[in-house]
Amino acid sequence: MTTLLAIDWALLTEKLILIAIIIFASLGIALYMTYGERKVAGILQDRPGPNRAGPFGIFQPFADGLKLIMKEEIIPDTSNKALFILGPGLAMSAALMTCAVVPWGDHVELFGRNIALQIADINVGILYVFAVVSVGVYGIMIGGWASNNKFSLLAALRGASQAISYELAMGLSLIAVLMTTGTLQLGEIVKQQMAPGHLWNIAYQPLAFIIFLVCAFAECNRTPFDLPEAESELNQGYHQEYSSMKLGFYLFSEYINMFISSAIMVTLFFGGYDVPFLNESLLSPNIAALVGIIALMTKIVCFIFFFMWVRWTIPRFRYDQLMNLGWKKLVPLALANMLITGAVILLWFNK
Amino acid sequence: MSAIQIIFWFLSALAIVSALMVLISKNPVHSVLWLIMVFFAISGHYILLNAQFLAIVNLIVYAGAIMVLFLFVIMLMNLNNESEPQKNVWMRLAGAVSGGCLLMILVSLVRQAIEINNKVAEMKVGDIGLIGNLGKALFKDYLVPFEISSVLFLSAMVGAIVIGKKN
Amino acid sequence: MNAIILSALLGVVMMFASVFTENKIAIRNIAIFGLLILLASNLLNIYTPYSFNVDLHNMLRFDSFGLFFNSIAIVSTLLYVILSGSDIVKVGNYPAEYFALIFFVLCGVTILSSYNSLLMLFLGVEIMSIPLYILTGSDKKNLKSNEASLKYFLMGAFSTGIMLMGIALLYGASGNFNLEMIREKTSIAEFGILAPLGLLLIFISLAFKVSAAPFHFWTPDVYDGAPSVFTSFMATIVKTAGFIAFVKLFSLRMADLGPSYAIILPVIIIATLLVGNITAVFQQSVKRMLAYSSIAQAGFMLFALYTSNDLSTEGILLYAAAYSIATIGIFGILIKMKDYTFDGYNGLAKKQPLVAATNTVFLLSLAGIPLTAGFFAKYYMLASALKSNGSALWLVIVAVLFAAVSVYYYFRVIQAMYFKDGDAETTEIDGTFKFVLVVLALLIILIGINPSILLRWYYF
Repeated sequence: MTTLLAIDWALLTEKLILIAIIIFASLGIALYMTYGERKVAGILQDRPGPNRAGPFGIFQPFADGLKLIMKEEIIPDTSNKALFILGPGLAMSAALMTCAVVPWGDHVELFGRNIALQIADINVGILYVFAVVSVGVYGIMIGGWASNNKFSLLAALRGASQAISYELAMGLSLIAVLMTTGTLQLGEIVKQQMAPGHLWNIAYQPLAFIIFLVCAFAECNRTPFDLPEAESELNQGYHQEYSSMKLGFYLFSEYINMFISSAIMVTLFFGGYDVPFLNESLLSPNIAALVGIIALMTKIVCFIFFFMWVRWTIPRFRYDQLMNLGWKKLVPLALANMLITGAVILLWFNK
Repeated sequence: MSAIQIIFWFLSALAIVSALMVLISKNPVHSVLWLIMVFFAISGHYILLNAQFLAIVNLIVYAGAIMVLFLFVIMLMNLNNESEPQKNVWMRLAGAVSGGCLLMILVSLVRQAIEINNKVAEMKVGDIGLIGNLGKALFKDYLVPFEISSVLFLSAMVGAIVIGKKN
Repeated sequence: MNAIILSALLGVVMMFASVFTENKIAIRNIAIFGLLILLASNLLNIYTPYSFNVDLHNMLRFDSFGLFFNSIAIVSTLLYVILSGSDIVKVGNYPAEYFALIFFVLCGVTILSSYNSLLMLFLGVEIMSIPLYILTGSDKKNLKSNEASLKYFLMGAFSTGIMLMGIALLYGASGNFNLEMIREKTSIAEFGILAPLGLLLIFISLAFKVSAAPFHFWTPDVYDGAPSVFTSFMATIVKTAGFIAFVKLFSLRMADLGPSYAIILPVIIIATLLVGNITAVFQQSVKRMLAYSSIAQAGFMLFALYTSNDLSTEGILLYAAAYSIATIGIFGILIKMKDYTFDGYNGLAKKQPLVAATNTVFLLSLAGIPLTAGFFAKYYMLASALKSNGSALWLVIVAVLFAAVSVYYYFRVIQAMYFKDGDAETTEIDGTFKFVLVVLALLIILIGINPSILLRWYYF
């Protein structure tokens, strides 16, 4: 290839295409998650849910999207304009950035090239996820502050403190997992779980998974931890002053977060794109990749369903309960889990 | 100019401009946001130096946690242009002059320093910044400071509770 | 290593002590017992081979200088806790935590006395400083205490930043944190400007920690604002530990700083002596006077940096002991006073003759009157300067002049106690307190008559 700027242009193109595909796929999935959410709510509450647009209402997301785009765009007079616009953008881009390190499949062989189905298998993969998640808080904070509305501000502060508190327990629970895997590379973690004779990580670290799951709920601001948008206390939460597609961005980023955190949980604890009892190396790479992606997506959809199920089942926490749970229950629990894991590894596997 | 050099200059410019904006911004919230930009630029430099762990931890700890708390406090205090105390012009002038002198001295000293003259930062080489090697260095060579720093954090935690807890 | 590990552990023990007991006296007694254990472990480390065996990677080096200073610091803390322990528990609602923080400070002190790597220097300074910020602000309802704490913290954080910059430059120049390696690499003729610059920045930061002029501005406000018990601790053990760290780093490094060092240090010494002594003269509050006097004393301790020979090493240890003991005593009495101004001491000699007498001994020692420990401390400092460098005579003369000035404000307290009529109001003074005061005074006189009582342990 050309040596302009000493970059491997083919690799770059390949990665750019992959990025585009993943981003559009995420957006599409998020789009249909709104539909799924309403359907699940309908089923759980014994009502039909959206059913007007198209058969079973499957065009409902597009109708919703169109509505959001068409609505009048209002930027409050007293808001901080630049930051008001920056807020939703940050929330969205932080949500999308996480998918860079998720291994969506092993690899495919196209046009004689061996294309890995992971944008970047960096050796601090899981930490990268953390960094992006922790930066994602700014979307909420900036949006809430720039609105110049006290309810928005309060919601933003709630959101930020919640995210920081639960990030801690999340990180601590992960340390135990990383002790057993010995690597932070997500691709490597999946390969370990696929190896014959090795179970999924959930079998070794059930407690870590439960803590991680709870924290993921809190990080995504999902019920029962959706305090930043507690409409009964804060009108509507941090996006109260937002309208049109800016509001859409906030709502969307929440669904994307949910999707990505499901993907991360599947990758870390449920074998990623591994199909149980199937030796993928016997299949041709492309078929294996396809099967893997389908397996991954199935697992993710299960998780997303779980997210929704919880939302329509469990009431919202009070703020002090939230903080108590985070700091006084989950953090010590995660620490204990870490200590026990460390001790077990040291005593039994120290050869 | 290679791609790495372009990125290096871009990040350097970004870091310096953002750092200046931290000082120039009238609004404290903007200052904090620019400071976050500085951290991002510095993390970029770490990545160029193949120190991925440091880059990510810099983001998690500084941009992700400390600056959020900064923003928190500033938002709660509702600091803005009006509430900022007016400083004496002479004080400002004195500050600018003395700060400028320090800058001049440091810059001129660093320019003369034979240790770094005609030397280029080595980009994308070495693997000490990778997490495995860093872990080995921390837990073997630097074990004593690593463990002792826990005393530091413990004392800070005790202090936070002593200061923060209601009577 | 014993002292470092045990002081950290004892800090944790003190933290948990508050879980099991609410009794303030019991907490104080646990602290005293802990300090005795600490002292014993440190002595074991010096005089027997019993010590924690840790692979240090040359980060710490335990020589007799550092370990001996540890003993001085621990004994001083012990005396301080016995003397003022009942006042420490009165400051606020967290008596056990205050002692825990004091133990953490001691951990920092013991690191500073034996560091051999810039990393450990940094950690030691921080471990020593952070609990102090808290202790300064522990009187939460007092606005002055809060202000002092914030001021101390901000300035301290700033000086830490400067120190880190210096360490970074030194590391850049030598590629190493280890003191000997830095010395080796940067002392060859080829070294450039980075090492001296780095050293200069560390110098500034440490000068801040020991409140040498012109980096002393925080001292009066912080010492004045902090609860008096903690000022006592800050002005003694912590300050002398700062000097030990200073001496350890700079004792062999002067040549590298080049001729500029020969100018900078005398200027700083004289500025410190000037600011401390002259400003102290004009103070109305004894507490604030003591803050300035501690700056003035720092001026004398800086002589240990000016030269590096046996006399200065012995001198700084002697100075640390003499200054700490006397200041602890003075502050112990100050805490008991209801009125901190000079007038508050009026007529103390009639009401509390023993307290006034011991206070006189402490003040005389600080002033450097013969037959007290302070005299020999100052004598060693000035003699070491003369011994190494004949041209330092003028510096010594200036120092002696300032010592004469200091007599004025120390004698003002004595004058108030003995020659002025008044009703010096004190809080309750019990027998233990008086007993410890007498012990402190005796120590000062004993060392004052024969300093080798103390120093022979150094060469033991």
